[in-house]
Amino acid sequence: MKLHHYFKIIFIKFFSLIFFTLNVYAIENIDEKVKSLTLELRCMTCQNQSIYDSDAEFSNDIKKIVKQKLQQGKSEREIKKFLVERYGEYILFRPLINLNNIFLWSFPFILLIFGLFFLLIKTKKKSV
Amino acid sequence: MISLIGFLSLVFAIGINFYLLLSRYIFKFKKQRFNFFIRLSSLLTLLSFFSLMYAYVTSDFSNYNVFQNSHSDKPLIYKISGTWGNHEGSMLLWLCILSIFSFFFSFTKNIEDNFQKLTLIIQAFLHILFGLFIVLTSNPFLVNSILVNEGLGLNPILQDPGLAIHPPVLYAGYVGYSIVFSIAIAGLFQNADDEWLYVAKKWSLISWTFLTGGIALGSYWAYYELGWGGWWFWDPVENISLMPWIAGLALVHSLIMVRGEQAIKKWIVFLSILCFSLSVFGTFLVRSGILTSVHSFAADSSRGVFILLIFFIITGFGFLVFLLKEPKKSNSLNLLFINKVSALVINNILMIIATLTILLGTIYPIIIEVLYNKRISVGGPYFNSTVIPIMIPGFLLMSIAPILSWQTSKIKSSKKYALSFIILSIVVLLQSYFLNFNTWGFVGLLLGLWIILASIIAILTSYKIKFTIKFFQIINPHIAHIGVGIAIIGITCSSVFQNELDFNLSEGDEFNVNGKKVLFEKIETTNETNFQALRGKFLFNIESNKINEIKAGKNYYPVSKIITSEAGILHQWNRDIYFILGDQKNNEWFVRVLINPFVSFIWLGVILMVYSGLIAVTRR
Amino acid sequence: MNRIFLLTPLIVLLIVCIFSLIYLLTGKDPNKPPSALLNKSVPIFESSSLYNSNEIIKTKDLQNKKTLINFFASWCSPCKVEHPLFFEIRKNYPELYLLGFNHKDPTLDAKKYLKDDGNPYHFVGVDSDGLIALEFGVFGLPETYLINEEGTIIYKFMGPLTKDILKNEIAPLL
Repeated sequence: MKLHHYFKIIFIKFFSLIFFTLNVYAIENIDEKVKSLTLELRCMTCQNQSIYDSDAEFSNDIKKIVKQKLQQGKSEREIKKFLVERYGEYILFRPLINLNNIFLWSFPFILLIFGLFFLLIKTKKKSV
Repeated sequence: MISLIGFLSLVFAIGINFYLLLSRYIFKFKKQRFNFFIRLSSLLTLLSFFSLMYAYVTSDFSNYNVFQNSHSDKPLIYKISGTWGNHEGSMLLWLCILSIFSFFFSFTKNIEDNFQKLTLIIQAFLHILFGLFIVLTSNPFLVNSILVNEGLGLNPILQDPGLAIHPPVLYAGYVGYSIVFSIAIAGLFQNADDEWLYVAKKWSLISWTFLTGGIALGSYWAYYELGWGGWWFWDPVENISLMPWIAGLALVHSLIMVRGEQAIKKWIVFLSILCFSLSVFGTFLVRSGILTSVHSFAADSSRGVFILLIFFIITGFGFLVFLLKEPKKSNSLNLLFINKVSALVINNILMIIATLTILLGTIYPIIIEVLYNKRISVGGPYFNSTVIPIMIPGFLLMSIAPILSWQTSKIKSSKKYALSFIILSIVVLLQSYFLNFNTWGFVGLLLGLWIILASIIAILTSYKIKFTIKFFQIINPHIAHIGVGIAIIGITCSSVFQNELDFNLSEGDEFNVNGKKVLFEKIETTNETNFQALRGKFLFNIESNKINEIKAGKNYYPVSKIITSEAGILHQWNRDIYFILGDQKNNEWFVRVLINPFVSFIWLGVILMVYSGLIAVTRR
Repeated sequence: MNRIFLLTPLIVLLIVCIFSLIYLLTGKDPNKPPSALLNKSVPIFESSSLYNSNEIIKTKDLQNKKTLINFFASWCSPCKVEHPLFFEIRKNYPELYLLGFNHKDPTLDAKKYLKDDGNPYHFVGVDSDGLIALEFGVFGLPETYLINEEGTIIYKFMGPLTKDILKNEIAPLL
């Protein structure tokens, strides 16, 4: 066998391994999903605490509902929508990407582009 | 009586500052006379503060503020720290620190007299603003109209050694920027030569070091007191402290650049104004209670309007002077593809973008609520997915920046760096792969390790190792960066690789934590001086001969009828084992055990940063 | 160009201050977020009476009349504070339909509470598992909703009602 053949095998093995490890972690169990979702939800009766971290009655109710809905096969998005309809966007720690929040989400990137632009102008000036 | 002394000295101090402010236009003082008055006003403010403290220590409930926030059965340390455990007292502490800074600044040598005077006059102006705020809206010396023998007590969460040190250190950071602000404004007014930049550098380093320490202390306090197992929550109050911290970091780095370049002066003035403005804005957000926060402070909207006005005056004044008296343009930046200047400029840009992003995220809910009458939250997930990616290129640059050249784009021994970076990536990749692969974990570990490694290579290859003070001053930037690298590792590991185990246990049960046997021995209740304690006693690693005892539980404070959770933490160098005792149900206790790997690295990293901040102050 | 750059901080400052000032002056309370259901239709619910489990109330039953919905429980002490106010409301606004939802309460406790303090409601619905409260986005008792003839929620209040709030905020809507 040629040397490059070994490389090929190693290469494929390597990437498939990465792929599979990633894949394994994509299939989480329900409790993990409940955790990652409730970590991004606000406990409405607490002071800036996530539902996951909180022991308040409200939080425990929502945890139950989230778990129930996940078991029913509802997607994360549907659950969030369900909660937003009732408690408002306030419950989401991660703001929705919608018209109101478009400025919030695009702001850092606008600034980055400005910064890059500034750098380009400045370095060019020097080389001229 | 003591309250009267406190109040009068506060008023006198403000009066003196008025006098000093007028002195600029009406009657000219000699330097010595001027400094005498500045120091007198500082001492009076200090006296005012200590009279309040005295009222707290002696539980003088004829003072309304003491009555509201203290209780005679508190231990002495909480009586002392209770002085600033409330709105009024903490504002007095703020003013007190402001005048301490003026006091020390009046002793600064090798600075032009007129320049120093003007700086101190601006300080006097700030003193008046905050002094009036205290006297008019938050007077801590009000007399209690009813005769009482007992106070209402201090919020139990604040009954902690954390309260004794965290606010003063943090305030020293915030308020320290007032000096930097005043210096910058004075520099604009007088169009002074560049000598003032060195003075500004020293003071901004001092403030930044205090701020770093203050934030870390607060973070550590939250870690063990809130009992959620985390140490950073992207809470508005935390964001508020982070903004001047990052802007201040940019300022410190820009001030380093002055050595090589002049054009950066305008930017430095901008940052100096920004840092203090952000500090005052933070005070406004916290004190007006405009945002919900885990740090629930008492709020009052009339105070909010007043302090908003102060914020507007200070910031408006600062930026207006900046607009009208902008520094003369000097030679342009020497930006090459990659040299020290361009690395610093890029880092400055990234830091300011991060600061502005945090600022926007913090005030965005206010804007949305005013415009649409609905409320949104901008929480951790937003900041994690914007601020962190913005900072990553900065971290990469940081690892090599100190060894870049000022003039050319050549890097000394660049091959060595490239090679070690590749080796390191492979090692980290393999490591993260055998544990469990996580993109953020991988990136964080690689960054942290790379920063440390590159800094060590730089130290070894660029300097001769000697154990003299001078050597430590020279390698100081690298030490600071190693600190950042260590902190990044700690942050990554403790957040990405945190492990959580939940149990329902009865007394006497044994359970497994990471392969170690733990015994839930018993529940104890004890009566302390001002609270009742409920503790679950755990014995960790019972199969070895080195058994650790951990107590986790809750405290009940009868005076305020509040329950606080008291986490039990076993600190090990490579991980913290964090026990939380939950509620009892059918004779079983809910116990949550968190394994936070490498948390100690965060504190170690911060200690290194603070150390290098202190070393940098000593260096001219 | 340079001037614009220097003006930016001042403009930003002005915007920040104006928004903060409006926020402060309009008396918004950080602890009481505006309801997501305001100006939306009443959620669909079905609940049986506390006193007779065969008697059912549904969303449809609220048509063509103004309804005041109040979530309460015997274990909630602020509810006790606002309780007498509902008698006053019933006396002053006989047209208004008062619907109480008993939230997560054992039936006996609820009955005892309404016996001791009196029952101002036209109908007391049982919400033992809190599912109706969930539909209404309730998260802290007591909460009060005002619904118009079309079945739209026109007002929401969190926390115990007071005479001032009744006079200044609810009465104009009736």
